[in-house]
Amino acid sequence: MNHSLKFITEDILTLPTESPDLPQMGGYVIFVGIVRNINEGKSVTHLEYDAYAEMADQMISDILKDAQTKWDLVFSDCKHRLGKVNLQEIAVIVTTGSVHRDEAYSANRYIIDRVKHEVPIWKKEYYIDGSSEWSKGCIDESHKH
Amino acid sequence: MKVKILCFAGLRDFFPSQQEIELENIITVSEFKNFMVSNNPNAKEIIRISRVSLNQIIVNDSDKIQDGAIIAILPPSSGG
Repeated sequence: MNHSLKFITEDILTLPTESPDLPQMGGYVIFVGIVRNINEGKSVTHLEYDAYAEMADQMISDILKDAQTKWDLVFSDCKHRLGKVNLQEIAVIVTTGSVHRDEAYSANRYIIDRVKHEVPIWKKEYYIDGSSEWSKGCIDESHKH
Repeated sequence: MKVKILCFAGLRDFFPSQQEIELENIITVSEFKNFMVSNNPNAKEIIRISRVSLNQIIVNDSDKIQDGAIIAILPPSSGG
């Protein structure tokens, strides 16, 4: 694992306990993606994330920069787990801050949607019956998965 | 030309995670994808829906592969 990566980590992610120290920030949005116990009717025990780590890290950096050009953000960040992630653990966190809430909300949705659809990260689902399967991923554009 | 090929996720059921090979008579990404399918026809569908990057830049089927390139085949993303 390349430890110079900024946005991809094998370390457990935790919720921020306080907002960034930015006096001009009036809205701070946190999106947290969590490993759930059922997917498409099958009982999941845990996930494993694989990634083209260096490329994924650069792409997340580029997506954050794109968000900063589209909205007037005072803060943006994204962290994504790699490796084994257990039920109820955090797989991804996107945080955005702006002067007013609208921009932080919009930018946050934009960032997580692009991270899920574009960044070379893949999840393998492990099921209670001992089987496992790579998630089919973003073939459709429904944004519901 | 000599290239390095990286495969991820479901593609690892069909190919090594990385290999260095000599490509002959292959110029474009499209030709490279056909070459990979010919090596393992069972991977045809996953290669069809995958993206390809050259030196960590996503490319199109018509783009040309340069000597020494790192070619990655990227199945549909499923992060988050």
